[in-house]
Amino acid sequence: MADASSPRLLFADIDEPGLCNREVYERRGGYESLRRALAMTADEVLKELEASRLRGRGGAGFAIGKKVSFLPKGAAETYLVCNADESEPGTFKDRELMQKTPHMLIEGIVIASYAAGASRAFIYIRGEYELQADMLDAALEQARAAGYIGEDILGSGHSLSLVVHRGAGAYICGEETGLLDSLEGKRGNPRLKPPFPANQGLYRGPTLINNVETLATVPAIIRMGGEQYAQLGVETSTGTKLVSVSGHVARPGNYEIELGIPAREIIFDLAGGPPEGRSVKCWFPGGSSAPVLTADDLDVPYDFDSLGKAGSMLGSGAIIVVDDATPILDVAMKVAKFYRHESCGKCTPCREGTSWTVKMLERIDAGEATPMDLDIMASVQEHIIGNCLCVLGDAMAMPIGSMIAKFREEFEAHIGAAQARTGLGGLAASDQALAAQGAHEQQHTPQGPLAVVADDAQAPGQHGGEPGTHKGGA
Amino acid sequence: MPRPQATMISFTIDGREVRAPENAMLVDAAKLGDVEIPVFCYEPKLGGPVGACRMCLVEIEGIPKLQTGCSTPVKDGMVVYTESDRVKTAQQSVVEFLLINHPLDCPVCDKGGECPLQDITFGWGAGVSRFIEPKRHFVKPLELSPLVAIDRERCILCYRCVRFSQDVAEDYQLVLLERGAHSYVSSFDGHPFVAPFSGNIIELCPVGALTSRPYRFRARPWDVEDAASLCTLCPAQCNVTLTVRDERALRVLARENTEVDDGWLCDKGRFAYQSFSADQRVLAPLVRDGGRLRAVSWERALSEAASGLARAGARAGAIAAGQSTSEEGLLLSRLMREALGSPHLDSRRAGTLPLSIHRALGAPALAARTSDLEFAHAVLVLDAEPINDAPILDLRLRKGVRRHAMKLAVASPHASALDSDAALSVRYAQGAGAPFAAALAAALGGDEERAQSLARDADADPVAVRELAALLRDTGERHPTDARAGGDQAGEVVVVWAERLTAPPNGELGARALLQIAQQLGMSGTQGSGLLEIPAATNSRGLREAGFLPNAGAGLCELPDEARAAARDARAIAEGLAAGELAALYLLHADPLRDLPDRELWERALARAGTVVAHASFLTEGIREHADVVFPAEAYPEKEGTIVHPDGRLQRLRAAVGHPGELRAEWRVLAALALALGLELDVPSGSAASAALFAAVPFYAGLTLEEIGGRGVRWQERAAASAFPAAEGLEQPADARDLAPLSPEAAALAGFRSVWDAPEVEFSPSLEFLFAGDAPREATPGSQPLAAATAAPDGGARA
Amino acid sequence: MSAREGAGNASAADQPRQELDAPPPRVARFAHGSRVPGWDLAVELEKDPAEIPDPSTTEVPAPLRDEIEAHMALYPDRRSAALPALRAAQRVHGWCSPQALEQVACVMRVTPAYLDSIASFYDMLETSPVARHSVYVCTNISCSLRGADALYETIARRAAEAQADVNVRAFECLGACDIAPMASVDGVYVGPLEHADVPQLLEDLRAGRPVLPAKQLARKLVADPQANTREFPEHPAQDGA
Repeated sequence: MADASSPRLLFADIDEPGLCNREVYERRGGYESLRRALAMTADEVLKELEASRLRGRGGAGFAIGKKVSFLPKGAAETYLVCNADESEPGTFKDRELMQKTPHMLIEGIVIASYAAGASRAFIYIRGEYELQADMLDAALEQARAAGYIGEDILGSGHSLSLVVHRGAGAYICGEETGLLDSLEGKRGNPRLKPPFPANQGLYRGPTLINNVETLATVPAIIRMGGEQYAQLGVETSTGTKLVSVSGHVARPGNYEIELGIPAREIIFDLAGGPPEGRSVKCWFPGGSSAPVLTADDLDVPYDFDSLGKAGSMLGSGAIIVVDDATPILDVAMKVAKFYRHESCGKCTPCREGTSWTVKMLERIDAGEATPMDLDIMASVQEHIIGNCLCVLGDAMAMPIGSMIAKFREEFEAHIGAAQARTGLGGLAASDQALAAQGAHEQQHTPQGPLAVVADDAQAPGQHGGEPGTHKGGA
Repeated sequence: MPRPQATMISFTIDGREVRAPENAMLVDAAKLGDVEIPVFCYEPKLGGPVGACRMCLVEIEGIPKLQTGCSTPVKDGMVVYTESDRVKTAQQSVVEFLLINHPLDCPVCDKGGECPLQDITFGWGAGVSRFIEPKRHFVKPLELSPLVAIDRERCILCYRCVRFSQDVAEDYQLVLLERGAHSYVSSFDGHPFVAPFSGNIIELCPVGALTSRPYRFRARPWDVEDAASLCTLCPAQCNVTLTVRDERALRVLARENTEVDDGWLCDKGRFAYQSFSADQRVLAPLVRDGGRLRAVSWERALSEAASGLARAGARAGAIAAGQSTSEEGLLLSRLMREALGSPHLDSRRAGTLPLSIHRALGAPALAARTSDLEFAHAVLVLDAEPINDAPILDLRLRKGVRRHAMKLAVASPHASALDSDAALSVRYAQGAGAPFAAALAAALGGDEERAQSLARDADADPVAVRELAALLRDTGERHPTDARAGGDQAGEVVVVWAERLTAPPNGELGARALLQIAQQLGMSGTQGSGLLEIPAATNSRGLREAGFLPNAGAGLCELPDEARAAARDARAIAEGLAAGELAALYLLHADPLRDLPDRELWERALARAGTVVAHASFLTEGIREHADVVFPAEAYPEKEGTIVHPDGRLQRLRAAVGHPGELRAEWRVLAALALALGLELDVPSGSAASAALFAAVPFYAGLTLEEIGGRGVRWQERAAASAFPAAEGLEQPADARDLAPLSPEAAALAGFRSVWDAPEVEFSPSLEFLFAGDAPREATPGSQPLAAATAAPDGGARA
Repeated sequence: MSAREGAGNASAADQPRQELDAPPPRVARFAHGSRVPGWDLAVELEKDPAEIPDPSTTEVPAPLRDEIEAHMALYPDRRSAALPALRAAQRVHGWCSPQALEQVACVMRVTPAYLDSIASFYDMLETSPVARHSVYVCTNISCSLRGADALYETIARRAAEAQADVNVRAFECLGACDIAPMASVDGVYVGPLEHADVPQLLEDLRAGRPVLPAKQLARKLVADPQANTREFPEHPAQDGA
């Protein structure tokens, strides 16, 4: 069984000064895996990747070897895209890798491109990561100068061009098809699948898309051998995993763990657990898209399948800990507003469902709801799940649904307390809501210039009642 | 790219076994089993499915999640449920989601009664909403363009309109701004969405968010009747459905015919119906009296016309153009030839071609279908600008490039709206289409020297000519060498050319070059290959086939020698009138000052003509100043008869509304006039006129109006096509020495009027904006009002 | 939590919790109303349709043109350069103004509407005029659990009081929850921030100095105690924007 003292493959001496430079990276054995891979055939490299049973570290957990093997051979130009649009709330592991050991990622990309037969690669990095993009650009320059990128790499006949493409702030571009549209210079709207990117991705060519951590693991797999790598972790979740721990813990940060260790070890032993006197109320095991688990679930092994069985998911490997002093409504509101803000608007259930959910939460918060509204809200989440074009709708509906299911009593107490505070019962509340609406509409007939209506609940920098994230905040 | 072949498969939907073409999308396949799957965003005309609205979720055995029927190709043995509880719940929830922010202002909505959102809510919604939060409200409606109003409250963000702008018209003017629930449809920075096909978004909108400003609140769906018709305002002859109320056409909608229009309309076709009820329209017979045209009785007008024409006798000439039906052409040609004994009649703007060339160019073996533009390996647009000559073809060509990897080449004197989609664009001097075509023919024939010399004559880049030849020759997979065609066969190639290519001074050279190109590319008899002419007027092809030419009778038959020798073409008629050799002129829907080259000559001709009889809807300059008798012309909703599409499709016009004012059917007017001149034409009815036409043209033999029906019939596809006269005496090779020098005058003559520059546009209030400012009336290609409104492809896009 | 200032957003006891007998928060009605810029805007009919700008009449600063063309050369399809080109134009013009969009459209040979639809989709592209400096305060879940909402209020208030040329925005997760609560100051990540850091932050910005060098993410060592086998010094700070 794995434990917290398992090997550090990605994080080993990651803070060594100058590691972002080629010389230091090479001195530590960097680019040796590339030389070794290029001495093998592309199929042999693929075999090693398959043997490692490495599952994608971006969220979906799809095995990289399988992904590569799905690419049609020959025919059209094949692309490799590294998904560095790390935007899942609570996730910041790729940031640390790109900033401190960019050559490891580049080496992984070159090896994967060789296995995939891709001659053009792109790193789509979120626009906010300016430092990390600069580090990558600088490292890329060094790699190019050393012949690791470009024509006929190390005399192998394999050629690769690599471009660091900076995003501009949109969570949805982390979804692989949204990313592809964005990279093609469009709005980052997810595409209908099928066709899957492996068949028709970037510029309609076969495309391999992988997360930063996944690709950065590739040199280690080549170095150790796939079989050896697969010895780490547990049966269906091999290897080590970077976990970002944040929220109510003493030592928030990134930890490299061997998959399968109990979550408790990560949250308490590594990250120090909640502050003195507090206990864990709930935790997101895989970013804010994951259904929440409670203190009862702390001994669940931290791996893909165990978390799935527990009713949640490993996702991007980001643990967010919420302590017992935080109202669940606040957590739900934060999550719902985030997804409302980030919904691309293309498909109906996500666009309307996220917006409706926020409105219902606001009513609950204002004491204008009844317990029946919780049923409606839960039903709205059910109507979103599985019915959307991509997973963003589910990413809100699953955690919100889990919160209603697991903390219904607290929601009801909140409703009761808010009503008591305002002296309103359920019916009276909706009467008041109607009256407020009537008054508003009297002032502003449909033809009236509503543009001038200001809501005094709107904070500076906020727009449209959102948490201040809309454009034009000042 | 060859057309896809469908294999039929069986699948089960709601317990019913249904046969459907394999890989058809489920929503389409379901219809074959009488199962309707509701959709909002799905519209195959716009391209592949996007799966945005989620209305079409269905359950498929073996797939755990519900699937979108719009994007799931049907496979053999598939088992689909559209009425299970899971599906119903999903459908109800999508309707509920969509109605969250929809204002439900159906009582005051123009779309009410013909609204997919209403229908789907009624059919698949739960009937209640649990949304008790206040709905959002905005200022509405707002102007999106002079033609379209937008109501953003009603928008359900199905993306159809922006997909049209981006993926069909490719003008990229209409976009979605912001994201998520904030998304809204808009143009850039308050600029109006003005583009040649903008009106299609009204019809695409599944809710009342985009409405027609000219139609708004003119009628409710239950007040109106639909009438199938054809738009005769340009050679594209799009099929339309007229919305008729109280004997007036209030709206024009597309009537999809994949062989003609592919379901789209240009804004002229969609909005110019207003001109039919414009104040300026001629609604009674007019006679010039004391220098002014005055309304008179039919008897007086007919007798004035008859006496004027009788006086002139064989010294009368006739020009037919515009929107004349083939029947009218046939009747007038008989009136001229039989009653007056005059051989002087013409319907070509571009001057006379030898009959053998007419026959060769019109031969069934060389005829391309409109849909071939989409599926050919390559298309050459030669001396034509579809957006100005036959707008709807512009969309068809873009579709071919976008969806079927068709290679498009454009050869034109000006930057073309299609350059952005073209694999190759070649420019040459204005009016030099013929030498350019000859250079291409020489290049295809391997005569490099002649190709270069002709390319220089045309002021074209010789290298580009060579590249163009290579593109056409080497495109697509090669067919096995076909002895019949000779030479080595290329893939399927269509050449779209405009009538101006065969205009003086080198018209015959241009025509012969076309035939050589066709031969070099092995077009003859190759399915999917061929020539497609865009003529100068709507029914030019029909008029020629009806014999309205100086050198051919009905069915392009040979004329008696003496008639042929004396016959004058349009230009010679003008010269004859100007010189006093001819005395009368009959204008069937033509105004020579607008429609024919050499205005100065025509001014002299009209001024000297003893009698000018005209059929006209509007008193355009030539008619207003010079006509002695004006018979009011029918607009197409009032007309009966047939017209022939440039690809040979006979299409039928049926009267959708009664005649306004004093109007009479024009075949009746022609028959009455002939009778007054002593000729019994024996056409007691409109259908009798059609029957006479079908009898007169051998290759129409046996046709009936019923056979033409609502979709039209290509005569080339009927057995009677074998009666098409063979071209003889073509051998004389075109020679570079015959090339007439390109004078500035010749270049000016080569300028044709854009279809957008027409009285129907000018007199439609909603289209008036197209004439705003100093848009040139006497336009040349590239400078027409709307040419500028299409997306310019690159730096050199503007002339 | 945005509607409830400071409510339950701090883990430690240093933030008072909202009392239940406090006045009720207001529901932000019409929150999706016409405050979305553009919803209520009609077109101006006298304008010309917005097509691909004419190079002969559209002036583009040469460095901007060069930068956009260099980006376009990196991709098989020129439109892929839309984001880098818009970011470059934003640096030149301060925001994606109609003029900026027209210039980019002219170089890229696309319509300005195409670029507008992109600019308005992405959070970092500004579609209305903004201040010169930007402070993005992360107010997503992990940071707000550690007091980010109150921090945002403080920064916004202090910036307004100082009339600083700063665009303070509450932003979605910036991927630095290990230094929560944090902000990205002209692209430089700093945290964990305390209210007391705000004056210094604004002063550093005003003076053009590196912002809060001691609190920069760039310097931080990894949290995993077993990652480094030796003691390493902190990394160098960033110069700032």
